[in-house]
Amino acid sequence: MHIDLKKEIRESGPGKTGLIILLLMVGVAVLAPVIAPYDPYQQSTTSLLSPSWHHWLGMNHVGQDIWSQLVYGARTSLLVGFGVGILSTLLGTVFGVSAALVGGLYEKVVMRIVDAFIVIPMIIIVILISAYIRPGIATLILLLSLLSWQGGARVIRAQALSLKERGNVAAAKSFGANHFYIAWRHIVPDLGPILLVDFIYGVRRAVFMEAGLAFLGISDPTVVSWGMMMRDALSFSYLNVWQWWLVPTGVALSLTIIGLTFVGHAAEPVLVPRLRGVEIA
Amino acid sequence: MLEIKDLRVSYGQDVILNGIDLELKSGETLAIVGESGTGKTTLGLSIMRLVEGTVRGTIRFKGKDLLSLTDSEMQQIRWSQIAMAFQNANNVLNPVYTVLNQIMEPMVEHRLKSKEEARDKATELLRHFGLRENRFSAYPHQLSGGEQQRVLLAMAMSNNPELLILDEPLSSLDAASRAEVANLLKETDKHRTKLVATHDLDTASKLTDRMAVLYGGKIVELGPTQDVLSRPRHPYTRALIRAYPNMTTVKDLQGIKGQMTRPVSGCPFHPRCTQAIDICQTKTPQLVRNQERHVACHRGGVITLMSTKNLSKSFGSLKAVDSVNLHIEAGETLALVGQTGSGKTTLAKTIMGLHQPNEGTVYLDNVKVDNRGKDFYKRVQMVFQNPGESLSHRLSVLEAVMEPLDIQGVGTKEERENKAIQVLGEVELPQTQDFLHKYPHHLSGGEMQRVAIARALVLDPALLIADEPTAFLDASVQAKILKLLLNLQEQRGLSILYITHDIAAARKVSDRIAVMLEGRIIEEGPSNEIVAAPKKAYTKSLLNAVRI
Repeated sequence: MHIDLKKEIRESGPGKTGLIILLLMVGVAVLAPVIAPYDPYQQSTTSLLSPSWHHWLGMNHVGQDIWSQLVYGARTSLLVGFGVGILSTLLGTVFGVSAALVGGLYEKVVMRIVDAFIVIPMIIIVILISAYIRPGIATLILLLSLLSWQGGARVIRAQALSLKERGNVAAAKSFGANHFYIAWRHIVPDLGPILLVDFIYGVRRAVFMEAGLAFLGISDPTVVSWGMMMRDALSFSYLNVWQWWLVPTGVALSLTIIGLTFVGHAAEPVLVPRLRGVEIA
Repeated sequence: MLEIKDLRVSYGQDVILNGIDLELKSGETLAIVGESGTGKTTLGLSIMRLVEGTVRGTIRFKGKDLLSLTDSEMQQIRWSQIAMAFQNANNVLNPVYTVLNQIMEPMVEHRLKSKEEARDKATELLRHFGLRENRFSAYPHQLSGGEQQRVLLAMAMSNNPELLILDEPLSSLDAASRAEVANLLKETDKHRTKLVATHDLDTASKLTDRMAVLYGGKIVELGPTQDVLSRPRHPYTRALIRAYPNMTTVKDLQGIKGQMTRPVSGCPFHPRCTQAIDICQTKTPQLVRNQERHVACHRGGVITLMSTKNLSKSFGSLKAVDSVNLHIEAGETLALVGQTGSGKTTLAKTIMGLHQPNEGTVYLDNVKVDNRGKDFYKRVQMVFQNPGESLSHRLSVLEAVMEPLDIQGVGTKEERENKAIQVLGEVELPQTQDFLHKYPHHLSGGEMQRVAIARALVLDPALLIADEPTAFLDASVQAKILKLLLNLQEQRGLSILYITHDIAAARKVSDRIAVMLEGRIIEEGPSNEIVAAPKKAYTKSLLNAVRI
């Protein structure tokens, strides 16, 4: 049975909406230097300004242009998100597929590690570790990836176990193929849709985590981030700056996560075809 | 009585006989068997010293070396002590003599008999060989081929020779006359020493006690006739027998690949041999005696390619394969027959290493197989039951057929492509760009299975395990695929383990049948014996089930 992921997303209303939001966000992040009128790090003496023609969303407490920060914040958010998405899916694929193919003790060990990580609440570990090492973007991506590949690995292993019983895998073995070849040529290509869903969920989780950590103030303070913006805005909640400082940031973050959720949800029938309901031919 | 040592005959550059050693005791009958052009007639002519080429070696007849005799001494022996019945009657019989005169001639010439005696003797002989009396005064061209043959036999016998050389003595006779003349030669003329040169195995079987198989001017196998015919040891002998129809044949007839050539060095059969190794190309094998049989083969005759010893595989408490002992010879088809769930596929997969056996061993080329690496899979390949499943839906025809070569890392990409395209041609698939880039779901079931077969053959394996290769195909496509497998066997000398639940199909394509029931081989033997006289009740029920 062929499942067409593109069709799956295109035919779902929220899926389409989610995809549009996502593309918009990615566009903003990529074109940040063009869109943002000011350097988001440039401080000035004019702090806590209200919106004006020059500063659409006003200025923050150290005189930085909030609109520019919002735009660059999308960069950070999506960079961490996609970075973690890619890396954790990669790790999940490597461990899930290898466990399925190699089997034996190796499989047992890998899957028990997976179980252990799934049981431990990830947020606490992340907060603990981040509090000590104050991760920059790269370290954060690495950290989040190391802590979030396990769920995907489980799904991928299950699917790989079923794929490896197929005739084309047996045939490849009978030509003398090794595990690596079989994984690369015969298992991974057929995992495509699952990997994409796993990736989207990975991105969503990471965007959320990044914002959360920044909000708690345990990420790299030199990087503009939505979470950090919200934290700073909150500390000035007694002024009316929250209207153009806190709300737009919250909306941007929410939109990103909603977009990812919609796309993921639309793609989910790939993982659980039962969700599809009755198809009318 | 006759002793031939290292006989070599050549016409100019063409070496016809290349070191023949033969011994013929008094009263013995020996068949010289081989395809046309192997030098059978030349051997007969050499003994008669009628050969025009250069003859070297020795031919001792009752102690005398015929080759060193003078022409007149030879004249004394020829026709009176050694006579030959020629194959090509038209050229031998003198067109201006009547049949009777023709036969009297050698007797009178050798002054053995007076004219009257000779006439009586000739009449008696012609009668003996069943020529009707009204034909006695006919001229040769007035006789039919069969009648001419009878005349030639009578002529050869006229001087009561001690050694009679018969060149295709029965070839121009119909089946009924054949039996009659064979009986005359064999039964009523029991004590005469005879050398029968023939390509016809039936003639050899009817007339002789021993047979020598000649190929490329050398004897490749020698032994008691019936024994050689039922259990050929040399690959050439086996191929010759396979090509020959008889009433118990169940497998379709197969030819021998290639044309007869006379290689400069090595075993004369090596270009057509299906089990040739390096030494076969460089060194000529000697005729080696093993009990009654002599075989000239570096590999000691047809080899056992693969065998299993006590091979067992269980899934939990289910013994899917239970102590299976099988062997497959090079170039033969073994059919593994049994109902669904009898463990056939498990056995195949265990041999292939797709299942780990619980017990027992697999031998390839008589070497125990421990770890199956690329070398193993270069020799043994498998065609799976469902081609739709075994071909990846992501690979085009070309990519699928190239896959084994890619995995094995053979040659450059271009070489792999060319090889794949060539093999697609061998399995009778189009080689157009359009076809090469089709995906499995564009193909019919028959085409898919051909692609799967091509993919298995692209590594030039010695053994092909075909697991129900036609299970998903209709009867006419099945017929084509089975024919294809037979042709491939003929061309490549492939050994095939053919797995099927259909004993009717098995008997058409296999040399031997092994019947499997609940993981065990319950009966095994030559296809014709299993089909004609099954020993086990289960085999009988399988056979009864397919009789329409």
